[in-house]
Amino acid sequence: MRGFFLFLAAGIFFALLQSSVFPLFLSPNWRPNLILLLILYLGLSENLSRALVAGLLLGAIQDSFCGPSLGLYVSVYLIIILVTRALIEQLNIESPPMLLLLVAGGTLLQNLLIGFYLTLFAETASVLHILLPAIPKQLFTNLVFAAILFFLLLRFQRFLGYRSGLAGLISQSKHHGA
Amino acid sequence: MRELLRRYQFILLAIILVLVTVILYSYNLRQKTATTFFERAVLTFSAPFQSTVDGVVDSVTGMWGNYLWLVDVQQQNQLLKRENLDLHSEVQQTQEILQQNGRLRKLLAFVDELDRPALPAQVIGEDAGNWSRTILIDKGTQAELNNGLPVVAAQGVVGRIIKVAPNSARVLLITDASSAVAALIQRTRTRGIVRGRGNNLSIEYALRDADIRPGDLLVTSGMGGVFPKGLPLGVVKTVEKDQFGLFQRVSAMPTVDFSHLEEVMVIVGEDDR
Repeated sequence: MRGFFLFLAAGIFFALLQSSVFPLFLSPNWRPNLILLLILYLGLSENLSRALVAGLLLGAIQDSFCGPSLGLYVSVYLIIILVTRALIEQLNIESPPMLLLLVAGGTLLQNLLIGFYLTLFAETASVLHILLPAIPKQLFTNLVFAAILFFLLLRFQRFLGYRSGLAGLISQSKHHGA
Repeated sequence: MRELLRRYQFILLAIILVLVTVILYSYNLRQKTATTFFERAVLTFSAPFQSTVDGVVDSVTGMWGNYLWLVDVQQQNQLLKRENLDLHSEVQQTQEILQQNGRLRKLLAFVDELDRPALPAQVIGEDAGNWSRTILIDKGTQAELNNGLPVVAAQGVVGRIIKVAPNSARVLLITDASSAVAALIQRTRTRGIVRGRGNNLSIEYALRDADIRPGDLLVTSGMGGVFPKGLPLGVVKTVEKDQFGLFQRVSAMPTVDFSHLEEVMVIVGEDDR
């Protein structure tokens, strides 16, 4: 339960960072989506029901900080968590490069879903003119920030406490079962 | 049957959840101007944080400009330097106030021309996503702001309010893909709809034989009832005509520089004219 609230607190902190601090230094296309990284990590490391509830809440938080309608990110993040859960059995999630690959896939899937929803339901097809040119920059920033966050997580893992099932942490694998 | 349900439990759950969220999204699309309880709670909760972050960043930037370059001063000049620093800081503050004063004067002059009451507001946050273009201002229902009110800057139209909380409001910028504003080419009075395209604008439904040239000023037409007539929206950048088709493709640059937006005016009253 502590982990669940930690994810939510991190989500709110990331949303505040994305709306108040990043805009001071980065243009919209170069701003990382830290909540997406959290969602991917949530999908990998928490159990399904907890991941779904936290994912829905994080989606609602992001919806409140961005765009005009509640529900878009709720749905997009739900699908990303479900896809991540479906892939979890097939992938070696202990490997950080694999996690970075997942971040790249997650970024592409998120843009694809947002484009699909906005074109189909909101009839704002012109959003594709904003989304498509931004994808390479988004990919790059998300990967850079994911690498930094994983590095920090590895560095400070001993302070956070080792948990079984925590994805992508080599030091956890070394200590696991020791 | 129960066995079948158990077997496809995950897929069924996934489908139901996705459908529920899609319905929620579609429902909220229809209720575009309504601020839900959840959104109001998040806006109310986050506004003080965002104002604080805004203030802290301003102070840090000010300190960086005024103090840090004096870190290595010699001991014997410390008093003199400190005095100099205080004066320098005061000058910087005065300059900042002068600049702000100038911006607000421009804004007031712009709003005075409208003959409509307006409320000044500070920009305290931006959109947390990369595809939508919204900003957060520090005034809300306590200042009697409502959904749909137009927001302007000294250079022209900024957007309109889409969500309101007691002490903050979210403004949909005219550069957002879901924004559409009825517009006129000032020179020729050609009508069109201005849609947002992230950093620039596109003009839709401008007839193929209409006279539109790069450099033409786009203003609000007053149709639709949100924006008063004649407010600057953008300047035409490119005009393209296909061999066939009813309309021409026109792109424009907004007159407002959204990357340096600090103060805005919310037009609160009806047209007096």
